[in-house]
Amino acid sequence: MNDARIKRYLEITPGALSWGIVVLFILFAIFKPVACAVLIIIFDFYWIIRTVYLTTLLIMAHRHLSKEKNRDWFKDCAALDSGWQELYHLVIFPVYKEGLDILRPSLEALNKCNYPKEKIIVVVGFEERNDLSADNAKALESEFAKGFLGYISTFHPDGLPSEQRTKGANATWAAKKAKEFIDDKGISYEKVIVSCFDADTCVEKEYFGCLSYHFLTQERPHQASYQPIPVYNNNIWQASSFARVVETSSSFCQMIEAMRREKFVTFSSHSMSFKTLVDIGYWPVDMISDDSVIYWKAFIFYKGQYRVVPLYITVSMDAAYDKNFIKTIIMQYKQKRRWAWGVENFPFVVRGFLRSPEIPLLVKIRRGFNLLESHVTWAVWAVIVVLVGPLPVLLGGSLFKEMSISYNLPRITGMLFNFTIAASIVWIILSRTLLPPRPKGISRIKSVLIIVEWLLVPAIILVLGSTPALDAQTRMMLGRYMEFNVTEKRRKVI
Amino acid sequence: MANEQKIRSFLFYLSLFIFLVGLPFILAFALSYKFNTRTLRFAKAGLIVLKTQPSGARVYLNGKLLDEKTPATINELLPGEYAVKIELEEYYPWTVEVMVSPGKVAMFDKIILFPLRSDVEQVSRESISYFWIDQQAGLIYYVSAQGNIIYRSDLDGTNFRKICNISFPEFSLKKWKLSPDKQTLLGFNVHQIVVVDLKSKASYDESLLAPYFILNYPRQKILDVFWHSDNYHIILLTDGSIDVSEAAPKASPVRLVTLNKNNASAYYDERADVIYFSDSAKASDDRMYESVYKLDLAIKFSPFKGLMKSRSENE
Repeated sequence: MNDARIKRYLEITPGALSWGIVVLFILFAIFKPVACAVLIIIFDFYWIIRTVYLTTLLIMAHRHLSKEKNRDWFKDCAALDSGWQELYHLVIFPVYKEGLDILRPSLEALNKCNYPKEKIIVVVGFEERNDLSADNAKALESEFAKGFLGYISTFHPDGLPSEQRTKGANATWAAKKAKEFIDDKGISYEKVIVSCFDADTCVEKEYFGCLSYHFLTQERPHQASYQPIPVYNNNIWQASSFARVVETSSSFCQMIEAMRREKFVTFSSHSMSFKTLVDIGYWPVDMISDDSVIYWKAFIFYKGQYRVVPLYITVSMDAAYDKNFIKTIIMQYKQKRRWAWGVENFPFVVRGFLRSPEIPLLVKIRRGFNLLESHVTWAVWAVIVVLVGPLPVLLGGSLFKEMSISYNLPRITGMLFNFTIAASIVWIILSRTLLPPRPKGISRIKSVLIIVEWLLVPAIILVLGSTPALDAQTRMMLGRYMEFNVTEKRRKVI
Repeated sequence: MANEQKIRSFLFYLSLFIFLVGLPFILAFALSYKFNTRTLRFAKAGLIVLKTQPSGARVYLNGKLLDEKTPATINELLPGEYAVKIELEEYYPWTVEVMVSPGKVAMFDKIILFPLRSDVEQVSRESISYFWIDQQAGLIYYVSAQGNIIYRSDLDGTNFRKICNISFPEFSLKKWKLSPDKQTLLGFNVHQIVVVDLKSKASYDESLLAPYFILNYPRQKILDVFWHSDNYHIILLTDGSIDVSEAAPKASPVRLVTLNKNNASAYYDERADVIYFSDSAKASDDRMYESVYKLDLAIKFSPFKGLMKSRSENE
């Protein structure tokens, strides 16, 4: 079978599985309501156990994050025997439509870092097709170029062969330009750590100290990516309730993932060895989910000997919200669908595995299954919990209604979901601790609202629980490929 | 960090253990399986669901008081017949014999417990033969057992007082009817109609009694009387005719229909202003046939229209 056909089958698999599960549940609800009720109870019980387990991991991750919050990483780094002095940091900001209001705070945060600027090379990668790119580049250069070892503005040409309009294509172009600079300076690639940040990413001042420390203390540091915890604090106080709850939940998911090391995959802003980046041929130029594909490229390149090291330090980004509630929901939906498009990793990874006999079969099965399972679960869990749950009682007919299971089903699911309420209280408490201080001009009432807004969770589950993932998988299944869509960020001036 | 991963592994296996151990119990509960200590086998049980109005009633199963109060679900019942009794103080008990089938629900979710008579309260202070309620005014009107005195009270029985004393005629009144606007009352027997004006000063001055007048029909036998929708005319069904009359002293009735039958029945549709009545008529075969007829007062019957007109002119 040729590669294109294998790819197509693998593209169909996640969507077919997800839809198959949903349809199977519906058919069971109509024709075999007792079996359907049993399956729902099994799934609900599994889901509750999973929620409690993941909430415990969240608490552990949060504890770890709090413990290392005020750590002077640069001091610890300087105390190490192996020399941080030889290390260089390459920071790439791929930019498309983001304006100066978004880019300035990111570069200011870089400027304020507790790390020698002469060890940092900054590359702001603009898209040539954006008319404002040249002016913005000039403005930023005049403000921020001083002090850094290098400050480069790159302009990614539109329509290069075999490229799609993706962030990865821009980042790759910027990295290649940075490589020329690094070659000129005669710096070894092994001594360069590259961080690819979303344009709105504001790093904490200890970020590079923390990153260098972990890089220097790792065994095989080039065979690892370094993943900070993304939080959406840049505009969190100004964002709408809906956006705030969704983005905080996203941060929680990343904190939980950081605890599940064997499944941990890079997401959004992250760092890695420049040598590895060059060796594996940079970010993909034709895929939307470049942030996770880069991990899988390295994983396959190193024959399964590649991992993600969590950094218990936050990088702050913008919460996506719009002028009104509906527009915010649409924006959030599109963003989550883009994230769910990470399902494109599945055909990429499996094909990579097929070409890599050196990777142990068990590793291939485990990682492949994890990848598929996580996307399929994402696409079906809310559908099963919210929509399929009541179906046996609604469609099961009068005979089913006389059966004790029809009476017990809502009681058991109700009882089980009391655990979810207990878990959500934990999320509320933790969410409060992740928030930055309330800025001036924001009413105290908002501090209370921020807690109350968690009542929106059921509505969020309905809208954003599974549908974006099901949408993305259906598109891939039907061969209607998505294009990269920048989530427009917005900050209110207070 | 290594410690963290150890804790995580422990939590993972603990969760897996809870799932694997807990699932059979949850499924057994959902499917109503119960271990039968007599047969030493698992048996499919049934359950009884009891919901009462009001709730909080005690539940007895085969005479044994259960801890649960209604709404209650009695789980894990082995198949068989059970006697259920529900008790709540001040209410009549509710009992049922239930046949519990394996894996089935015996649902009793609409049990209404009826209160004992202890909360029945007498509102009238005299023996009465007839009463009606003016909900808008919040009043109850009563007619005495002899049919000659009208009383009135508030809805809770307070302010009970006599509002009319009819010094009356030969025959006692057999039926009472209130005008649509609830301002006038009429009572009648076979030859007399009494009309009581409830809207007079007596309604607010306790020292006064409501005025009334009597209409006599010595030659006819009154079978029924209806208030016309204008609250001023009355329609009489007698043993030989259907008449209409003003509800005013000394009013003369106008004959609408002469009836062949002396025990006809009638119904007056107040909204449509139509009288339906039964009567017998001779057909071409010389035989008498009984039919129901319709008399449209509003459109077709001009003498009645004239009456209406004269009344509005008088007003």
